[in-house]
Parts: sequence; C-alpha cells; structure tokens
Amino acid sequence: MALWRKTADNKTARRAGIDGRAQIAIILNMNASEDTVLQVEDLRVCFRHGQNRTEVLRGLSYRLQKGKVLAVVGESGCGKTVHALSLLKLLPPGGKITGGRILYQGKDILSLSAEELRKLRGAGLSMIFQDPMTSLNPIRTIGKQITETIEAHTSYSNLRARAQAVRLLKKVGISNARKRLEEYPFQFSGGQRQRIMIAMALCLQPNVLIADEPTTALDVTIQAQILKLIRDLQRQSGMAAVFITHNLAIVADIADEVLVLYGGYCVEQATVHALFSKPLHPYTQGLLGSLVSLNKKVEHLPAIEGYPPAPGMPEKGCPFAPRCPYAGEKCHSCLPPLIEQEQHKVRCWLVEKNEKSR
Amino acid sequence: MKNPVEIKNLYKSYPRRGLHLLSKPEDKTVLHNVTMQVAEREIVGLVGESGCGKTTLAKVLLGLESYQAGSVKVNGLELKDLSKAGFKKLRRQVQVVFQDPYSSLDPRQTVRQILCEPWDIHNMHLDPAEREKLLCALLRSVGLDPLYLDRWPHEFSGGQRQRIAIARALALEPQLLVADEPVSALDVSVQAQILNLLKDISRTRALSMLFISHDFAVARFLCDRIAVMYRGQILESAPTEQLLLNPQHPYTEALLSAVPMPDPHMQKVRQPIPLKYQPKRTQSPCPYAPRCQYYQAAQCGRSAAETEISAGHFCACVRLPFQKEKSSYAIQ
Repeated sequence: MALWRKTADNKTARRAGIDGRAQIAIILNMNASEDTVLQVEDLRVCFRHGQNRTEVLRGLSYRLQKGKVLAVVGESGCGKTVHALSLLKLLPPGGKITGGRILYQGKDILSLSAEELRKLRGAGLSMIFQDPMTSLNPIRTIGKQITETIEAHTSYSNLRARAQAVRLLKKVGISNARKRLEEYPFQFSGGQRQRIMIAMALCLQPNVLIADEPTTALDVTIQAQILKLIRDLQRQSGMAAVFITHNLAIVADIADEVLVLYGGYCVEQATVHALFSKPLHPYTQGLLGSLVSLNKKVEHLPAIEGYPPAPGMPEKGCPFAPRCPYAGEKCHSCLPPLIEQEQHKVRCWLVEKNEKSR
Repeated sequence: MKNPVEIKNLYKSYPRRGLHLLSKPEDKTVLHNVTMQVAEREIVGLVGESGCGKTTLAKVLLGLESYQAGSVKVNGLELKDLSKAGFKKLRRQVQVVFQDPYSSLDPRQTVRQILCEPWDIHNMHLDPAEREKLLCALLRSVGLDPLYLDRWPHEFSGGQRQRIAIARALALEPQLLVADEPVSALDVSVQAQILNLLKDISRTRALSMLFISHDFAVARFLCDRIAVMYRGQILESAPTEQLLLNPQHPYTEALLSAVPMPDPHMQKVRQPIPLKYQPKRTQSPCPYAPRCQYYQAAQCGRSAAETEISAGHFCACVRLPFQKEKSSYAIQ
C-alpha cells in the first residue's frame, strides 16, 4: 500500500494517469508473494442492544484472489451487509467485531489507525452501498461528491478530477455527463443515483470493490450494463470484488466463487460451476430450486417452507434445521462443522453420510 | 360476458412546469394510446422498465388517477362516468396488492383490524361468529395461522406481511386483482411462496389479475399473457409462451437479452444487447427508435401500426414485414 502511494506521487506515474497507476499497482501485486488481496479469517460480529448481545456473523473465512469475484449470497438478516461494512470498519454504533482478522494485502485492517484506514477506503477497498436514495449528500452537486473522493486521495487538480468524473459517468451510462455534474441528487432517478454511487466507488480504480446489492434497484437492462462494466474493469485492471446479492442469476453471471450465508454462518462455499451443478447444502438446493427462471416453464415452484430466521436467534444446532426437509435429531442439537471436499465447503451433517442430489 | 378490464386508446398526461417560473406548464404524456384487455380468469403481465408507466396504468384502473382521453372499462363500467357511489360499489370488485409490504399495512392496526376494514367500509354487517369464521378462513387461504389475528404488522416478516396484504385484498372477494410488483421486495425463498400463493388463489377464486412486474422470469411463471410497455406505449403483447419463444419487437428482444440466467455456462455465451441512447433519433414516431438496435432512418420515419402477427400476438414495429428470422434471444 505504502509503495503504491509512493508511485502515485511520482511525477511520471502522474503523467501516465490513473490507468498507468493501476498498471503499476498490478505489477506491484504480481511481485507480492501471493495473489490474495483480501483474506478474512473467522470473522465474528456482535451487536449490542442494552444488555443483549446478538452475534450476527459467526465465523466467516475466505480468501479473495486478484481479479476474482466472490459472491456472498443470502437472505435479509443473514449478515451479508454487516459483513461488507465490517470489511471497511464501518459498522454502525452498537456493532463490534469480536473476533477474527481481515487482511488486505497481508495487512490486518483491524489494527490500522484512523488515518491509515481513511487512505485505504476508496483507493484500496471501495464500497458501493445498497441504498442509492440515502447514500448521496442531497445538498451538494454530484460533481463535487465525485471529485471530492479523487482529490482527497490524489494530487489531481480540480479540472483533472472533473475530467475523470465525466469519464466515469459516461462509463456507467449517464448521458450528457459534463452538464449533469452540476446537478443535485434529487434531479436523478433512483437507477441513475445508483450508477453515480457506482462511479464514485470506481473512481480511484480500487483493488477490491465491495458491492452491496449494487443492482437491486435497477432495471435489467441497466443491470446488465453495470455488470459488464464491473467485468471489464476486472479484466483490465485486475480488480477483485466481493459481490453481495440475493439474486442467484447475477451470481451465475459474474461470480467465480460463491459463499452462501444463512443465519450468520457460512453454510456452503464453492466455485460457481460446482455450486450450480452440484449444490450440497439443502438450503442452497432449495434456493436454486425455488428460483423463477426464464428458461424453464414450471407449474409450481418448489419453495422452501418457512421464513428466514431473525438475526441472532439463540440457536442450538444447524441454523437451517427448522426449515430443512431432511433435518434429523442431530441437526437440531449440534452445529455441523464446515467440511471441505475438493474445494467445496459445506456445513451439513447429511453430506458425509450420503450425497444428496438435487 | 364482458371482459373485467377493457382499455381502449387511453391517453394520460401530467402537466409539467418548465424551468422558468412563469412559463406555461407543458403536458407530459405518460400513457400513449394504450389498448389492452384482461379477460375473465386471465392473468396479464405488464412488463417494462421503471418509469415506463406501468404503475400509472394500474392507478388509472383503480380510479386513483384520472385520464384525458380514451376509455377504461372495468366490468363494463366506464370509469370516467362513474359517480362517487358507483366507484365505491366498483371498488368491491377491484382490489390491489402493493409492492412494499412494509409501508402498505397500517402499523397501528392489528391483523384483525386490517382485514375487517374493507368489510366495515362496504357496510357488510356480519354477525361476530360468522366474521370470526371468515377471518380464519381468509388467513388460512393465504397460508397464515389464525392465531396471528391479534398481532401487529411489525411482528411479521416481509413475506408474511405480503400474505396479510393479499388476504386484505381478497376479503371482499374481488373479481379483479391489481398486483403492483408484489414480489420484488421479498427474499428469494419467500418470493417463490408468494408466487405459488398468487397462482393458487387466482385459480381457486376465478380471479382476473393485472400483474405488474419488471421481471420476465416472474411474469413467465404466473401470467397467461404479457404486454411489454415502453415510454407509456405497449409495444408488444402476446400469450406468454408465444412472446418468449418468438419475440418480435426489438425492445422485447433487448429486455430478454438482459435477463440474467441462473446458469454459469449459459451466462458465458449470452451477450446482452448494449443499451445506447441516441437523442438524434427522437424525430421518429416510434418511442423506441432512440435505443433501437435495428434502427434504419429510411424505415423508422413513419409510424408503425399495431399488427396482429399471429392469434393474439400484437406488435408495433415498422420492421415487422421484413423480419423473417427468429431472434437469437428467444427462449428455448
């Protein structure tokens, strides 16, 4: 990180522009011992309400390689967003990381000072927030808001930062970008605001993009455009991404690896091909089964019975057991461990005995 | 027998004030020559991007918005001519389920109050025992336990709330249900439950439904017929399978191409049609011309009439007679 910043200050690199910087960053990354840009080890997050403590993330581990996309899939209340916020140490009041490590390029984020974190956010790790309606400042023009990020992290002049902002807005499909920089958030539609958020997150070409349901509010046509943009950036600059979504069709489109969260636990983790062709956990099977798909005609959807658990329910046993069609006695009393078979991790008692097929 | 919904050449516009304070308000057309029907026991899907006028059409149908020209008949009654009392009578037959179950239920009413309100409004004086029986049956029909009657909305999850909203809509045993994106705010596993529920009740209660959605996959599961809307106009409408297997309008094709498939192998080959807006083409009478992937200045200068390609398959595009080959984005 420090080295990267030095090169950024270097005159030649400055002349080369942001693309040049990204290339240098790639070279530096390649020289690093590994390709892992982000590593999360046994991450645990607790929320405190008065005397009550609820654990919403209960031991999450993964590695993210350069240029790869990890999709985190789960329903509301499973801890997806909390996980994303804790990667940047942005948990709301009451939330606390109670265990584990988050390593960004080998450095533990949790031990960084506020100043170091500020430099990291936006440039190294950048985030697209879920709610486009409340994430932009309503009393400043969007031009100010985008260039603010660029100016805070680089020594660009305002003119150059604006040029960069225009380029980005064009990339995310906002026409007449130069003029629209002067407009305020209320003058944009929800989809456009979301795209502005995306442009802001990408403006420094971060090494890791954390996207929390970035396309949920968007139309399919714009969604396809945004996904393509993220894919292109990945290919060009080796950006890695943590993609948080509940839409499995998007996962199939963009992800290399998938992590399925349920009730704060990772219940299954595999490559995207393995997960879609051979889902092992009953929850993943249920999710894939209940998916309405354009290319199959069904009379009745095999839905998962019941509702997702509320966060932090005091649980014994497997979190999915109350909704699981295969649950036995053991499932209700003991939490299954995360078993790994050929790079495919799953947390289910039934997997060892016999492999169920969908 | 009359169709529950009969819309003909509907125009609706909103006045829009110009940038200057004293400038005269201009009219912005939001529904342009819309013609559609919903037959008895039919579920019609209205699909389009946000801002295309789907919800406005639903509001017109519910009598929540007025319209400037054309005719909107619900159960044979022209909405414009209805008196206040006539509207109230009609509302018993037309009910609605909204998108967001968190804001469409009154947080200060219990489930019992929510479900009884329609009966009170329409002066259906039932004796308490019968009312209780009906309430229980109603909750059971949407898959909820009658024990929930005295709970408050905040005690329920999104899926359960949407079930309550559906129960409220069914309380008056309507003939027509307008569902405005009822599943798009729900979790995936719950979405499937609600879709199954909507399908079941539409069968068992002989309901007609106007189902508004932006998701072709959901529309395919539920709808008998789909109408594709763009900028206040219906560009193509056909029986569901017909539309998906043989999309004719360039816009339908573009929309289909953008729907992600839950299959990583398939996703690698599918390329969405790129979205490019070319403001120069706004002179064309076709609303989709500025984005059309097949635009040809020579052809697209004249307006396209809606033509019936095959039984029940309508499409408005000047290219129609020229297009012979099947779209590569058709669903197999």
